[in-house]
Amino acid sequence: MRRLLILGLFFMRVFCGYGQDRQTFFTGFFPEVSLTKKLENSNKLNFKVENQHVIYDNRIGDKPQFDHYRTDVMGFYDWKLTASTSAAIGLFHRFQDGADGNRIIQQYAFLNRLRDFRIGHRIRTDQTFTRGQKVEWRLRYRVASEFPLNGATLDPGESYFMISNEPIFSLKGGGFNLENRLILTLGKLYAKSQKLEYSIDYRTDGFFNNRFRTRLWPKISYYYNF
Amino acid sequence: MRQFKGVLIGVLGSILLPLICFSQENIKIEREVGIKERQVPGAAVDWLYDAFEKVKKPNWFQEFYQDGFSYEAKFKMGGNYYSVEFDSLGIIEDVEVELELEELDRMVQDKLKSYFSENYQVYKINKIQIQYTGKKGDLEDFFDENEKEGITVRYEIEYRGKESNKVDEIWEGTFTADGVLLTRRKIDIRITDNLIF
Repeated sequence: MRRLLILGLFFMRVFCGYGQDRQTFFTGFFPEVSLTKKLENSNKLNFKVENQHVIYDNRIGDKPQFDHYRTDVMGFYDWKLTASTSAAIGLFHRFQDGADGNRIIQQYAFLNRLRDFRIGHRIRTDQTFTRGQKVEWRLRYRVASEFPLNGATLDPGESYFMISNEPIFSLKGGGFNLENRLILTLGKLYAKSQKLEYSIDYRTDGFFNNRFRTRLWPKISYYYNF
Repeated sequence: MRQFKGVLIGVLGSILLPLICFSQENIKIEREVGIKERQVPGAAVDWLYDAFEKVKKPNWFQEFYQDGFSYEAKFKMGGNYYSVEFDSLGIIEDVEVELELEELDRMVQDKLKSYFSENYQVYKINKIQIQYTGKKGDLEDFFDENEKEGITVRYEIEYRGKESNKVDEIWEGTFTADGVLLTRRKIDIRITDNLIF
């Protein structure tokens, strides 16, 4: 917990520096809920809602806000390929003021089960359709490592630490962009089917077009499987 | 209006749903907790250092079940991973050592390979552990002096296997010293939703 606090302070220091350079920085509140239904054929259905509210934006000033930024709802059908690999397709809708959009997602995921922890790999491509804008094509690769904090295996009632990183390459109307998402998570497995996670989600983008932007999302995530 | 819809969905989806869904599902009391060596019964610590004189800094765990608990020491020695199980009083139960398939007797290797190829369309061995059980003194003599009397040998093998017309699963099989299957059970992979979605 102390380590997480130190990392949080480090991130805040980094953002304060960016703020002084007038690069865009905003932060807020980011809850998400994920519901997964395991089907009889071992495939899965997933439904997820993510909601982002901005409480500070350096373009607006030092006044704290509570503005709805966006809400994303998505659904996936996930095919089990082997015991540790799967492929999924997903549909996504974004509610954002003036920028509602739809997305089609394709993904392949595999899991490495190691002696004391496990690593999840996720490769995604997606296409986003927003009214009045060109189609955005993205390629993303996320690697996430999950470490139990008690013993060598994660049992119900125990906590875990997770670190993940995901570079996202995108093409839109001939313009190339790169975004990176680094997430540090402290989670708890409440029962075999439920998890609650507290994360710091640090997103950076606009590396190449002089529009560097950072977003810091304290995040709370709930996962339920049935 | 759109913004209001978004906020409403967000609030309903993200705040109310967890409260509704946090069901009263019973938590199974089956967990492993890392402990200090001083918390382990003296009988277990003494047995470990007598049987494995060269062991350095073993990691100790206490495993809790529905009806009791046990102790386990895990360590690496001579390039192999060891797992030594003791009961709640610190009496030795068994010793497991991780091995590669190539380290087993040729005859056992062949027997295992033929079991897997005859029973699964596709298979992959993830982990092999040779398991030694026996009385406290017999086990100590085995690891100390390679005295095999009173020792029962089994193999615990974790593998991925796809039976014909079925989905690919991860299994744990227990095999005799000759490589004949005794029992097998399916291993449930802990939920991966936070890693996949």
